[in-house]
Amino acid sequence: MRLKKATAAALSAALLAGLLAGCGGTGDSKETGSSSAAPAAESAAESSTAGESSASGTKTLVIGDTTFNASNEEADVNPHSAYAGWACIRYGIGETLVKYSDEMEIQPWLAEAWENVDDTTWKITLRDDVYFSSGRYMDGEAVKQCLEHLLEVHDRAAADTKIESMEADGQVLTIKTSEPKPALLNYLGDPYGCIIDVDAGFDNGIVAGTGPYVAVEVATDDHLTLNKNDDYWGGEPKIDEITIKTITDGNTLANALLSGEVQAAYGMAYESYPQFQNDNFQFSQIFTSRCFFGKMNFDENSVCSDPAVRKAIAAGIDKEGFVSVLLDGNGFPANGTFPEGFAFGGDQVTTETYDPEAAMKILEDAGWVDTDGDGIREKDGKDLSITWLTYPSRQELPLLAESAQATLKEIGINVDVNCTADHNELVKDSKNWDVYAMANVQCPTGDPEYWFTVFALEDSTKNQGKYCNEKLESLEKEMSKEFDPAKRAELAIEMQQTILDDNAFVYCSFLKMSMISQSNVSNYTSHPCDYYQITADLDIQ
Amino acid sequence: MRKQKVKKNHLKVRLIIFATLAAALIICAFFSEHLCPYDPYAQDLSIAKAVPSPEHLLGTDRYGRDMLSRVIAGSKTSIYSTLLLVGFINLFGSAIGILCAWVGSWLDSLLMRISDLFLAFPGLVFALAVAAILGGGVQNAIIALAAISWPKYARVARSQTLAQKETVYLRAARLSGCSTFALITRHIIPNIVGPILVTAMLDIGTMMMELAGLSFLGLGAKPPAAEWGSMMSDTRNLLATHPWVTLAPGFAILISVMIFNLLGDTVRDWLDPENGGR
Repeated sequence: MRLKKATAAALSAALLAGLLAGCGGTGDSKETGSSSAAPAAESAAESSTAGESSASGTKTLVIGDTTFNASNEEADVNPHSAYAGWACIRYGIGETLVKYSDEMEIQPWLAEAWENVDDTTWKITLRDDVYFSSGRYMDGEAVKQCLEHLLEVHDRAAADTKIESMEADGQVLTIKTSEPKPALLNYLGDPYGCIIDVDAGFDNGIVAGTGPYVAVEVATDDHLTLNKNDDYWGGEPKIDEITIKTITDGNTLANALLSGEVQAAYGMAYESYPQFQNDNFQFSQIFTSRCFFGKMNFDENSVCSDPAVRKAIAAGIDKEGFVSVLLDGNGFPANGTFPEGFAFGGDQVTTETYDPEAAMKILEDAGWVDTDGDGIREKDGKDLSITWLTYPSRQELPLLAESAQATLKEIGINVDVNCTADHNELVKDSKNWDVYAMANVQCPTGDPEYWFTVFALEDSTKNQGKYCNEKLESLEKEMSKEFDPAKRAELAIEMQQTILDDNAFVYCSFLKMSMISQSNVSNYTSHPCDYYQITADLDIQ
Repeated sequence: MRKQKVKKNHLKVRLIIFATLAAALIICAFFSEHLCPYDPYAQDLSIAKAVPSPEHLLGTDRYGRDMLSRVIAGSKTSIYSTLLLVGFINLFGSAIGILCAWVGSWLDSLLMRISDLFLAFPGLVFALAVAAILGGGVQNAIIALAAISWPKYARVARSQTLAQKETVYLRAARLSGCSTFALITRHIIPNIVGPILVTAMLDIGTMMMELAGLSFLGLGAKPPAAEWGSMMSDTRNLLATHPWVTLAPGFAILISVMIFNLLGDTVRDWLDPENGGR
């Protein structure tokens, strides 16, 4: 009897201990990397109660972000890896030689001045008061070393910039390109162009930049911890420690901001906006060139290799309805690759408009007919069925998929939606998709060439749909040598029209980007290029 | 004695009420296509997120689809998937249990250790892993849940069969020359069906919740399929601003699970010999 009681007591104690252990777990089992040079940072979990000013007098801020994650090719903050440069520049770690104005024109930043000596030679003069967070002085040699490493390891930089050689002399860096590269400085303003101290290393994806904040800890898909850079050349940053929390689910992000777990948020679903339209929160909104668009698969096994199918898809998507209802008006329907406001954007190109009747006629004329009465057309015994690949971290992409699914069904096209965080792997194999819908900042460098070289040329890294048009290739060759902005704009318009005539891409909408913060946060401001987010001026009262 | 009779009558009333409600649910789900006031898949963005009104009793979702129609259409997927799942694990698990009890020896040990293995996994986590490997879709969600749920039935059937195996009447039947097939189908199964039925009835609600849970996590029904779990998941963002869109399928799950659970409880009480059951 006594034994039974003792056993029961022991079991109860074990259960209680288990319960307490479960409740007290910090959940910090994720692999974290921290810079050995940087001071040890407290984990995000420990600082989750951070807010305004803590008892010790240090100012802290927590920002929730849906996009800082590996599936978005932002696994860390190393600008020389995929799209991680976006995180590097967005969170104030790195800076580029030039920056973009609100009109997307290039302005001096780490470069004080530049000169186009001849078609293939650029002389760039650097600021003389800049130090990396590693303590190294930023001179021509450091920048040269950084760019050389970039060209060696990055998947887009070498093809974009065509840099052949560099020479450093004090604060002057001379760059020679293998061919005329009128948009070289625009490219160097891309996030991958963040100037970092290569000698400081890339341990765990952490780099030493020149920005107002220093990355001290990266836990991929969980959080990033930043400390202020006391020696920042642009003035003293106002906040001591900033934590970027990766929260990919829009609903969780909204609740985190409402509860005060985060004080600012980027990537909030438009549907959640009404919860923040009150005095406790503030919005910073701006129209950007961020676009939702679908790229077509030209592989012969895909039904999208049929021009009539592509044309019907382009005419079968209700862009107006999507923008006004599903985006709650936080955008505008897209016509071509670039939005209004650019010399080469807006209505200067023409494309299919939403017209289900016309779309049905196009399909019928091409021999796609519903013979078995199931509502889906067939041709040569093959159903007109497409796989629509997309991803959930941009909250409205799944909505676009479901909207297109319904409108395309009306014209006899069956759409299987595959909305997955694994899209980057799936898109590499053309058998996995027919339309790949994605979000992208179309003109991040202020120059149109960037988009074509990344997405639409035969050897473009992001042309997984194998689109190829000889006219487009020759127009690009012409553009790559053209220095006159007006003529470049003309070429960009012609190139867009070529793509639209092929219906190789269907552009759905451009977006208004919003960053939401508590009302006591100041200078948390959106920018048209969508990457200057954390600056030395960011503050919390 | 009188007290027991009153209790029995009370049970009978409960049984009739809950059985009727469950039958009504199943019949409604069967004829759901004819009961929907609107096409549950037809989008009309001009009436998106409309508040409940006489035209749309449960309002509309973000695509302007009538929520009442989607909840009704979703009943077919949710209820019939659950019944299919419970039916399958019931038959499969019971067959394994009877086989183990009847044959015994190494087969019993082997199958019971396998069932122990499945019971040792945390249920929903294992189902999540299976569903993630097989991919999304209701079919795969059913397979995932079936893979972890059959051992319970195998255990019940085995223990009941073992008890029946030692009874005098079964020995008599065996002595009178009954074949093994006849012994199992005529004597064992009719005598063990009660506890298995009760387990199945009580499981319907749980399975419905687990299926909805998998769909909620994106591993069940795929858009635009109307399924209660995925409908709740898809509309989570609207809970604060347009709550009816999320709450409508939520209430449908609540009511259905409650009816099946209460029916299961009542059937259990009805069959309990202490309540004057069979």
